[in-house]
Amino acid sequence: MTPDYITPELFAKLVTLAALELTPEESEYLRTELNHQLAAVKELSEIKLAEGVQPSLHGLDCQGNPPRPDEWLPFPDSAAILALAPESNGEYFRVPDFRRGGEEAK
Amino acid sequence: MKTYEIVIGLETHIQLNTASKIFCSCKADSWGAPPNTNICPVCSGLPGVLPVLNAEAVRKGALLAAAMHAEINPISYFDRKNYFYPDLPKGYQITQFDEPIGKGGYMDLRMPDGSERRVRIHKLHLEEDAGKTKIDRGERLVDFNRCGVPLVEMVTEPDLRSGEEAAQYLTQLRQLLRWIGVSEADMERGHLRCDANVSIREAGSSMLNTKTEIKNVNSIDAVRQAISEEAKRQIDAVEAGQRIESYTLDWDADTGTLRKMRSKETEADYRYFREPDLLPVVLTAAEIAAVQNSLPELPLARRARFIQDYQLSAYDAEILTSERGLSDYYEESVQLCGGAAKLVSNWMMNDLIRLMNDTGKSAAELRLRPADLAEIIQLVEGGKINPATGKSLLARVEAGAGKASQIVADEGLGLIADEDTLRQQIAAILEESPSEMQNFRAGKESLLGWFVGQVMRRTGGKADPKRTRELLLELLRQ
Amino acid sequence: MSSIQLSAYQIAQKVRAGLLSPLEVLEDHLKQIAAVDGVPGSLEPKTSDPAEESKVHAFIEVSADLARRQAEQVRARLERGEDPGLLAGVPVSIKDIFCVQGTTTTAASRILYNFRPPYTATTVERLAQAGALIIGKTNLDEFTYGSSSESSAFQPHPNNPWNTERVTGGSSGGSAASVAAREVPLSLGTDTGGSIRQPAAFCGVVGLKPTYGRTSRYGLIAFGSSLDCPGPLARDVRDAALMLQVLAGADPKDSTSAVAPVPDYLAALEEGVRGMRIGISPDYDHITYPDTLTGEMSIQAIQPEMNTSVRAVAEVLAQLGAEIVENVPMPNARHGIPAYFVISRVEAASNLHRFDGVKYGYRARKPALDLSELYRATRAEGFGLQPKLRILMGMYVSAAQHSAQYYQKALRVRSMIRSDFERAFDPNGAYRLDALLTPTTPTTAFRRGEVMGDSVLMQYSDQMTVAGNHAGIPAVSIPAGLDPQGLPIGVQFFGMDFREDIILRAAYAYEQATRDAEWRAVQPQALRGSEVKA
Repeated sequence: MTPDYITPELFAKLVTLAALELTPEESEYLRTELNHQLAAVKELSEIKLAEGVQPSLHGLDCQGNPPRPDEWLPFPDSAAILALAPESNGEYFRVPDFRRGGEEAK
Repeated sequence: MKTYEIVIGLETHIQLNTASKIFCSCKADSWGAPPNTNICPVCSGLPGVLPVLNAEAVRKGALLAAAMHAEINPISYFDRKNYFYPDLPKGYQITQFDEPIGKGGYMDLRMPDGSERRVRIHKLHLEEDAGKTKIDRGERLVDFNRCGVPLVEMVTEPDLRSGEEAAQYLTQLRQLLRWIGVSEADMERGHLRCDANVSIREAGSSMLNTKTEIKNVNSIDAVRQAISEEAKRQIDAVEAGQRIESYTLDWDADTGTLRKMRSKETEADYRYFREPDLLPVVLTAAEIAAVQNSLPELPLARRARFIQDYQLSAYDAEILTSERGLSDYYEESVQLCGGAAKLVSNWMMNDLIRLMNDTGKSAAELRLRPADLAEIIQLVEGGKINPATGKSLLARVEAGAGKASQIVADEGLGLIADEDTLRQQIAAILEESPSEMQNFRAGKESLLGWFVGQVMRRTGGKADPKRTRELLLELLRQ
Repeated sequence: MSSIQLSAYQIAQKVRAGLLSPLEVLEDHLKQIAAVDGVPGSLEPKTSDPAEESKVHAFIEVSADLARRQAEQVRARLERGEDPGLLAGVPVSIKDIFCVQGTTTTAASRILYNFRPPYTATTVERLAQAGALIIGKTNLDEFTYGSSSESSAFQPHPNNPWNTERVTGGSSGGSAASVAAREVPLSLGTDTGGSIRQPAAFCGVVGLKPTYGRTSRYGLIAFGSSLDCPGPLARDVRDAALMLQVLAGADPKDSTSAVAPVPDYLAALEEGVRGMRIGISPDYDHITYPDTLTGEMSIQAIQPEMNTSVRAVAEVLAQLGAEIVENVPMPNARHGIPAYFVISRVEAASNLHRFDGVKYGYRARKPALDLSELYRATRAEGFGLQPKLRILMGMYVSAAQHSAQYYQKALRVRSMIRSDFERAFDPNGAYRLDALLTPTTPTTAFRRGEVMGDSVLMQYSDQMTVAGNHAGIPAVSIPAGLDPQGLPIGVQFFGMDFREDIILRAAYAYEQATRDAEWRAVQPQALRGSEVKA
């Protein structure tokens, strides 16, 4: 079995989905490395799983906290969060949007 | 022309009325809050912070599942739904994908023609709400206050057949949500939001054709209208030999028109996977039983019981079970009135509901409690006050004037029960009206009413009308 | 004597006893940083001064003012007769992946170059409450994505104090280097596939990856959320135990943090290894490495000193009364990296979704952007090559049509990796181990630039460590000698869930027994010369 292979076309699609844009040099390097990594993970598909092996989410069974009680505890400094914005109008986070309608809503 | 059947499935988003958000301790409802003031590092997607599940959101989700007769999942999971949008600060929404809190179930609707329809529920899951964006002069402004508000997304099977049925579903769902106390279900405030999937088929066919999805149908009228519009558009298109395409449509409530948002042909890949920051939601058999036991009697069952046990008309039962607080009020009052179900129903249907409308309060919010209502009813029935006084007492007690019996005593509103006093009053009137007395004795018995009126005027309405009548007859016939 | 010669334990003892001023401790360490660290990592590195080549460059930011305020607080608490805590006056460096209010928290990425969080990681909060002095933020691979710390957007990257032409390992490279170079006695790192233990081994220090959930992840900028573990780096085992004591415990802000009780780790150290069963596995004396084109796996030898060190450590422990259990099979260890390539990338890609130029950090400055252009340009300019690579890999293997083949399969392989350990540690099983002893790394520290760019080879530097992250179990790497080039060799003990006390005990027993070994007297290159002044 040969490893999955990412062609330049498929790669370009991935880049768009990932909300990235790359220089030709970056693309060349990253696509090569991706294909090397896919070769390395090819092994996975060849592993025979023992009967009834379940997916593991954290390795061990987490002995975690139970869900929290329903209490309203306001964060003391919401203004500090807005102040982190690259751009805001003092009330809202602001993003450019010159082509309304061209965007996927979800 | 062929006849068509409309096939509708509804996807509702229900805002749970918890105190805090689903994964952080910000206030759940931001109504009236300035933008970006009800936020914290968790709900605004800052790096490094982690979601912590609100136990009450789980309980309310499970309670809703129980009310929908759904199977409550003993182990459900949260997943990440990955996509980019500025109102989604983490770049993924935490939601439940393949193992939601509730599976299956149904809701029985009663239709205006008296028939019932069972709408099956496909799936019911917990998730977090996204923020809000608005466009202002070429810029998008983003408010994260709504991020992390606990939602239940509930999807029906395509079991509805008209805009009117869809409207009934929403109306009765809204009633149910308030009834079991999981949501304020105020559509104007976005507590209950609805998307509708609409397709058509030839009557008698059972196939499902390409559907369109109408977004933002956020009032009962909008649901009725938008679905009717869209069904008409699809029928016209098919009649004209066109193919229905899988669109997403936006309902513009202001103009009452549908606007195409985008083609849905290429379904986005959200790359769902288990949310590693949260543990599975485990509900033990005992916890599930506790949820199911805490489920109150639902509106349809209570309505039937009112008709059966209290001999109410369907109409009265309908009104008195429209809201849980009102129906509880009714039952408590009946009990305090010794089971006088019809009598209490009359008082509530005529006077109490008017009082609620006048004050803008729900039954539960009234200062006039069932004990007060029962007291007033019993004062009237016992001949202590006349009905008009009783009705005016409702508003007085509501306004905080005190207990009804106390007001009656303090203000001397009670009927003249002392027979001697009443006899003296009547004798005086007869003395002042010799000609009327003569006419009566000559056979003009219709004058009795006139005499009663005179007694009432003289006693300021405090004479017991029944006893007055009896005494008048006795004295006139002497 | 400068307090840089003291362990954290010694410093805290003296400070709590009023024998040493926390401010003096702080100044000693700031002086050492000034002497050995060189220019801090920055986005626009200054012109290359050849003298900088031999500096350690562990830090991105030195938070002297914050540390001075904390030292003053420790002094004030002492004056009031209060106990200033287990780490009173101990300078601690923090891997710059932890949010600390009052510092810039960059994750070594341009996309967070100016991010000043309005909150502090629980682990850092606990350190500060225990009287530690937060002296600065250390450099790392961008977003922790690497095993050499070379991929930081903030250059120069850290150099190995033992030989500055060698890498520190990573991703907690700055942390390991800062401890090795005596700039701090303790550092807080994170371990997702080996990112504490591998640089600890390369830099000749102790590195502990606790059980998943033993330490809170709140405030740690996530890489692989189901694998990430904050943990200590220290110069000796007692210090690592001391720091774990402060870090461990449930946190209401982290649902996955464990409510399991926290034992007294320091007391446990003294219990010795008599009767302890320590395993050695033939599956850990080599690595299995794929051909980069065909994916065909072949067995490759590791540096021979790695295996001889494991043997030597076992020998010492046997003499102390431990029972060495040979030939413990760990057949799924070889699948660790392939499964990790999938699981960690899927989580990383999702975790990086939030960096979009809307809320904080870097935003592309191109004019007249629309929304998707803003995202693309911001992420293109803000992320380096390694985050981009991880995003693309994560998106590919979690796509709906590939998820079953890769992601779902990898999660099941993860269960199998875990079952190897469960079998080995089963108290009723054939092996009944208390700890499994393995090399920490296939080689000692490699040369700068030698592996950088080859993402598969770089990842395989974690083959010995990553199984512990899949299984969620604790593991500690300790120094066990020097190779012929004078580079530190690390060995590690894996242990059972929440039994850090047992592996620390084994590590401490070995450390104490070899206290006078010749190799322990050798100082890192970066310290020779500065020692004269000290």
